Amino acid sequence: MTLDDLMQLPQYSVAQADKEAVLLAELTRLGKHHRQRSPEYARLARIMFPGSADPHNLADLPYLPVALFKEHLLSSVPESEVFKILQSSGTTGQTPSRVVLNRETAQLQTLALSRIMSSVLGPNRLPMILVETADLIRDRRQFNARAAGLLGMLNFGRDHFYALDSNLELRLPELKDFLRRFGGAPFLMFGFTFLVWSRFYQPLADAGLDFSHGILIHSGGWKKLQEEAVSAADFRAALRQALGLTRVYNFYGMVEQVGSVFLEGDDGYLYPPNFADVIVRDPTTFEELPNGQTGVLEVLSALPRSYPGHCLLTEDLGVVHAVDSPSCGRLGKAFSVLGRIPKAELRGCSDVIAAKVS
Amino acid sequence: MQVEMLLPQRRMMELEELPVHLRGSAAAEPFHESVVNAAIDLSQRTFRDPEARGYPELLALAYWMRKAEMVRLAAQFRTLQLDNRILAPRGLVFHLPPRNVDTIFVYSWLLAALTGNRSVIRLSPQRSESTNILLRLLRETLAAASEPAGSGTTIVSYGHDVEPTEILSGLCDARVIWGGDQTVNTIRRTPLPPHAKEVTFPDRYSLSAIRADTYADLPEEKRDYLADQFFNDSFWFDQLACSSPRLVVWCGTAVETRAASADFFHRVAGCVERRRYLLPPAASMQKLVYACSAILNSPVEECRRYKGLTVLTLASLSGFKRSHPGGGLFFEAHLEDLLHLPEFLGRRDQTLTWFGFTSEELHALVRKLNGRAVDRIVPIGQALQFHRFWDGYDLLQEFCRCVYIESAFQDARPTGASG
Repeated sequence: MTLDDLMQLPQYSVAQADKEAVLLAELTRLGKHHRQRSPEYARLARIMFPGSADPHNLADLPYLPVALFKEHLLSSVPESEVFKILQSSGTTGQTPSRVVLNRETAQLQTLALSRIMSSVLGPNRLPMILVETADLIRDRRQFNARAAGLLGMLNFGRDHFYALDSNLELRLPELKDFLRRFGGAPFLMFGFTFLVWSRFYQPLADAGLDFSHGILIHSGGWKKLQEEAVSAADFRAALRQALGLTRVYNFYGMVEQVGSVFLEGDDGYLYPPNFADVIVRDPTTFEELPNGQTGVLEVLSALPRSYPGHCLLTEDLGVVHAVDSPSCGRLGKAFSVLGRIPKAELRGCSDVIAAKVS
Repeated sequence: MQVEMLLPQRRMMELEELPVHLRGSAAAEPFHESVVNAAIDLSQRTFRDPEARGYPELLALAYWMRKAEMVRLAAQFRTLQLDNRILAPRGLVFHLPPRNVDTIFVYSWLLAALTGNRSVIRLSPQRSESTNILLRLLRETLAAASEPAGSGTTIVSYGHDVEPTEILSGLCDARVIWGGDQTVNTIRRTPLPPHAKEVTFPDRYSLSAIRADTYADLPEEKRDYLADQFFNDSFWFDQLACSSPRLVVWCGTAVETRAASADFFHRVAGCVERRRYLLPPAASMQKLVYACSAILNSPVEECRRYKGLTVLTLASLSGFKRSHPGGGLFFEAHLEDLLHLPEFLGRRDQTLTWFGFTSEELHALVRKLNGRAVDRIVPIGQALQFHRFWDGYDLLQEFCRCVYIESAFQDARPTGASG
């Protein structure tokens, strides 16, 4: 099996052992590629991970912490080949991560997203509701990760309808028109989790509209909903009950690693696509942890060619529940994301702890 | 606005009450029996307290306040009193201790109190468990103390509000700012009375130097002991105390120092494991990110990662940046000779903990530094031992005014010079 096979085969159809064998070969090759092209990566891999040039399993591969992309622009392509630089949205006041894409990596990303989405949407473009304001992509000056995510999803739909106005209020009459036209057959819905909850579900909770043919794909994290004490299960149950929406898929991903889009299965667990994987590591020693134990998530993807982001240690906690358990018809690792590593403050003489190497 | 008074009583008080509360009682005579006894009493109460027992830094504080040490300190103070120079208390000392090193406020308070000063201490509303234990013990001690020790100490708590700091600064005769550069810069914006003095403790950096050949001659158990001492110096305050070492300089040949470092850090890693030192996940992540960044930004040629301990070997100390994430990360470098160290040191460098050098070598180092860097040179194991000499100050003297007195009456004819 090759990477090409992993792309072409139906997603979630490759058993973990087979996938690991292909990914190990592929990511080792990719590591060599980045060692040759990015002096920074070569230095980190050599000094931080001595002996990792000849890895025996995926956990032996050098991994970079995502925060490094805030401080360093790591690139494996000459400047002339840079197609675009992706930037994470980041919270106000935080330095955004920056990731260098060339054409090849950008194309692989598009292909990967399409392979993943078609696994739940089927081969055809569906009529699409965007739980967003059209202003988001109209104003190119404020182009952020939210807008980039939206643009990436537009290709999977047709007859796009933006369900929110510029004040993020629901456009109810137009929504009813959409449902009259398309509501009787499968249609796609996309939005950021918190917007779907606060700007779509809540105003529609008692409206009695029928979304039973809808397929909702949402992302953006649970932090805000956790503040309102809404769990993933509450979210799914509420949408099912009030809107008749049964096909609801959350996904987890990050700007720093193209191709790593982990889509929820019908069992509510996240699954890596064929060409990506996750490893859970001990949050203090960073040793690999057995399944069932909570730790820091490392994400792996065979796609990043233009920058050394193929193995990244995230700042999220997660747990692998099962491997190759076909409870929802998917093979590979079934995992959950449990939120950010909690902040910690160490003691010390200085009240402000400066930890940046300037 | 209100602030919380924590000592002598615990209650909310209006800002306007503060000056009224602090006015009044006069300073005590330096090393007044009641103050010395209160210190010894606090020491004994801390040793006896079942809650305090779990905190090594509280026991270290109690040890420092024990009777023998107080007697020694009193004797040292007497030697400072000269025939024509008398040290007298400044009056009211305003202490702003750091939020994160819990015991500092007691050291700061005690030296001011022993020299006869009254004190007002500002504590943050976010207080650790050990700070609360100390507060309780201090409250009990002062309630039982005789006068003038019993009064003369006030502790208040408020956030980053300027108004109480303004009032307290306006009332005090000396202000002591702990807590690093940013705190010093912020508090300094609030003026002091013209006569008042300020003692500041900015951000500092500390390092260790080990002579490799002397280390190599040590028997096994002495190496283990040294590693253990080094662990205490470094890990008690997550390596963020200003006197905890963050850089280890090995002196000797390349071969000797490499061998010594491998052996030494292996033993330190053993301590980390045995003592079950555990860093919170976010701090471990920060340490990892810091190590990666350091590899990209500085001439790191090797990285050794043990459980809870990271060692980054520098090819050279030139341009060495003194930022640090804390939590068990050490830079190390190799020098042929200790006397090559001064060119890499600067004003920020505070404590040099050492092993294996002769007194002559250390004195030669200090003479070569000539005041440019390093305020304290102590053996490995004593990095955190508080002392009247700290950060280049003699705190016994800083908390006093020097009164000059010429007591021999000269039957003077005018000499022409007059003042």
